Amino acid sequence: MASLRGQQVIRAGDMEKMSLEQLKVLKEQADIEVNLLQDSLNNIRTASARLEIASTALHDLSLRPQGKKMLVPLTASLYLPGTLDDADKVLVDIGTGYFVEKSMAEGKDYCERKINLLKSNLDQLIVVASKKKTLADEAGVVLQARLKQLSPSN
Amino acid sequence: MSSSSTALRELQRDLENKANDLSKLQKDIAKNHQVRKKYTIQLGENELVLKELDLLNEDANVYKLIGPVLVKQDLAEANANVRKRIEYISAESKRLDASLQDLEEKKYSKREAELMGRMK
Repeated sequence: MASLRGQQVIRAGDMEKMSLEQLKVLKEQADIEVNLLQDSLNNIRTASARLEIASTALHDLSLRPQGKKMLVPLTASLYLPGTLDDADKVLVDIGTGYFVEKSMAEGKDYCERKINLLKSNLDQLIVVASKKKTLADEAGVVLQARLKQLSPSN
Repeated sequence: MSSSSTALRELQRDLENKANDLSKLQKDIAKNHQVRKKYTIQLGENELVLKELDLLNEDANVYKLIGPVLVKQDLAEANANVRKRIEYISAESKRLDASLQDLEEKKYSKREAELMGRMK
């Protein structure tokens, strides 16, 4: 993903050379980035959960025989009785307003693929996020040490 | 002396103008980032859709949601539409990149000019 600002590779040694102001700015920046990354992580987890629910629902649907009586939701509080017609064809939302008709097996496969994709994204993001968090923590430690140095009357 | 105070006032005004220009540039850069982010997200989504469409058989049914209506679409047409959209977004992104570069350069040169003005 394109970085918003030119990212500098900060090594622990560099922090010793920075002034107090620079350290503060660094820590704040790192904190903001950690929060952003945490939000992204949460978003991925939510999306993942939704996909799992969809997958379970699909699986459940495949177990139902044709002609089975069911209640169809029209609104959040209005259901109509109906019969299950064809449980083998499912419409899959693939994004940007496109829907594809797939067979039940393909639908399940789609859910699995998406869940795996999200899982790998989640893992990658966790790696980046923990690195950023370590950086933020280090910056915090050095900042505190520097502050203590500057106010020895404490 | 009055001449030096007017010169001072002029300098101050000049500095203010430069500071305003700088903040406007910052705002433009921030907006650029926002639009860029939106485009990146849309591009990603469209590429996902394209991948799914590629996996389909020739005879699979594709529908597009237009308002409250699901309209049956031809697979070839859907492919073409998504590809065109991806091209458009990529072109817009490149244009934004170029203008971002431009804005950043202007910002740096203005900042330098402002610092010089302050030092005087």
